[in-house]
Amino acid sequence: METDEARERAGGAAGPEGLSLPARVVVALGVAVVTLAVTVHLAMMFLHVAPPNTVSKRHAAEIDDYVYPEFEQNWKFFAPNPLQQNVAVQARAELTGADGRTTVTPWADLSARDGADILHNPVPSHTRQNELRRAWDFYAGTHDAQERPSGLRGRLAEQYVRRIALSRLGASQDGRPVERVQVRSVTTPIAPPPWSDEKADTKPVYRVLGWWPVTTADLAEARNR
Amino acid sequence: MTTSPTRSLSRALARVTGASLGPYQTALLRIGLSFTWLCYLLREWPNRRELYGPDAPWSWRMAHELIGDNHAFTALMWSDNPAWFETVYALAIVFSALLMLGWRTRTMSVLSMLGVLSLQNRSVFIGDGGDNVVHLMALYMVLTRCGQVWSLDARRAARLARESADGDARGRADRDAWDVPGIALWTVCGLGLVLAQVLGDDSMTWTGEGPLPGLSWPVTLWGLWAVQGLWWAVRRHAPGEPRAVLDALAHLTHNAALLVIMAEVCLIYATAGWYKVQGSRWQDGTALFYPMHIDYFSPWPWLSHALAASSLVVLLLSYGTVAVQVAFPFTLLNRRVKNVLLVVMMAEHLGIAVLLGLPFFSLAMIVADAVFLPTSFLRRLEGARRLLPPARGRREPVGPCPAPRTPAEEEADGPADAPAAVPGPGRRTVG
Repeated sequence: METDEARERAGGAAGPEGLSLPARVVVALGVAVVTLAVTVHLAMMFLHVAPPNTVSKRHAAEIDDYVYPEFEQNWKFFAPNPLQQNVAVQARAELTGADGRTTVTPWADLSARDGADILHNPVPSHTRQNELRRAWDFYAGTHDAQERPSGLRGRLAEQYVRRIALSRLGASQDGRPVERVQVRSVTTPIAPPPWSDEKADTKPVYRVLGWWPVTTADLAEARNR
Repeated sequence: MTTSPTRSLSRALARVTGASLGPYQTALLRIGLSFTWLCYLLREWPNRRELYGPDAPWSWRMAHELIGDNHAFTALMWSDNPAWFETVYALAIVFSALLMLGWRTRTMSVLSMLGVLSLQNRSVFIGDGGDNVVHLMALYMVLTRCGQVWSLDARRAARLARESADGDARGRADRDAWDVPGIALWTVCGLGLVLAQVLGDDSMTWTGEGPLPGLSWPVTLWGLWAVQGLWWAVRRHAPGEPRAVLDALAHLTHNAALLVIMAEVCLIYATAGWYKVQGSRWQDGTALFYPMHIDYFSPWPWLSHALAASSLVVLLLSYGTVAVQVAFPFTLLNRRVKNVLLVVMMAEHLGIAVLLGLPFFSLAMIVADAVFLPTSFLRRLEGARRLLPPARGRREPVGPCPAPRTPAEEEADGPADAPAAVPGPGRRTVG
């Protein structure tokens, strides 16, 4: 990659050549520090995005310490396989009337509402495209098959999903406050392409969570003020 | 011509300490990323309280709990007052707009980064790949001299140069040395930092967490602030060798950050590509059929379904995507192939913007790709742009950003300062 400017430069006093010795030492130190920093940084970034390997498993703590929180990254777009199912999150509420009798609302398809907002929208909002979708991913990633949360994140994910459901359903309906909410996911596999000879079951799969009592902490904070 | 290893090493050293390479590429990155983030902030203006503010389902208290665990930086944790949130959001808009215009680029790159981190880290579960790109690049851009061209800073430098050439040397020297807006901005930033340390949370303690292990946020921010002051002082009081050393170190830092940015783009494509190679759907050539049927990513279902209706189109697009993503880092060895691939990747991202309804993600990726555009092409863009309005004076002498140098300075300082001179137009950074 010999370019003309290198030749151009050779004539003039370019680079550290024209400087005094102390100045050149300072620049050389700078070069050493920057070279080391770039090498370490790129190595960390590489080990963070690469599959777990001999080196990254041995130094997992150091790598995580370096990468999190500001250099975290995930570029596995549609990889290794794209999502092959539509996941809809639905919610329903239990209302308490003035007479103390409780009624349960029909399931509201919150994801379908998102979808309606995204349809024919050239610039969908993060509140519609990411909020509920990623909250559910977060929940699914921090809960086991018995819906038991794992640690702080699991607990937060639960509250997050509950608060989204409540913000979408409303804290009350027809003047009757929502006492409890229930959330479920409906996973519908996408039928394989018509030209494929694969047979896939496209029957929706339900994951129904238990009823969650609504606490004041679950209501949007603005409404509590 | 045979060159010894030591000669080529010293030549490489001269190159990376002698000039801030890729002035057009880094300027485009600055403009493009701040434009993307600015458009996003304006688009989400009606939803800002739900995303990052008092109406967020991811409440301030929950964010506080998570950040107590992961120690991410966000000024929004300093107070849960809604007025503070509105202030931060508004400032994020202002800072990104000013960074886009290239006004006081060094300072704005830092402030704009703080805006990006404050909002994104407040609600980490609301972002997507586009936010991730903006986040990383905002951090890296702080260390690049991204205002050398196509900026208000460059325009001011050119104006000062013109004035000095017109014989108004005295007035120029006074204004240049004192630079009242610059000093005011620097002072305000210093006061802001003091306030942030007094009123802020744990993230503003000297020994707290920071962008890198062992480097807390106050140390980082005060360090950047001190460098600005040092730069001004050296320029004014020690224009000889100290100035040349600072220049060499600034070039070096810029070039290192540019290298990291380029490597980051390669990592993005390599990761996206190599993980796909292992996927059965990418292997059987039906992968792209599926996203076209995901409700969250089909704003135009008829268009998506029409595209996904042809087995051959889906196969070619699926294989093409993997091939391009895996190949991209290697094509940097060949200028022509690299440029062809850049066009293909930008076209693909345009398609993604429309088909999958991801305009901000796509825009961020297109801008990141643009770091690899050839200088000759970018200069032609500039030439075409200059045809539009009647050229206002010479735009030729463009100094490096934080301390624009003028030909007069160049002359006065003598050859010791030669590294600071911006090399001629033939420069090529990439490919």
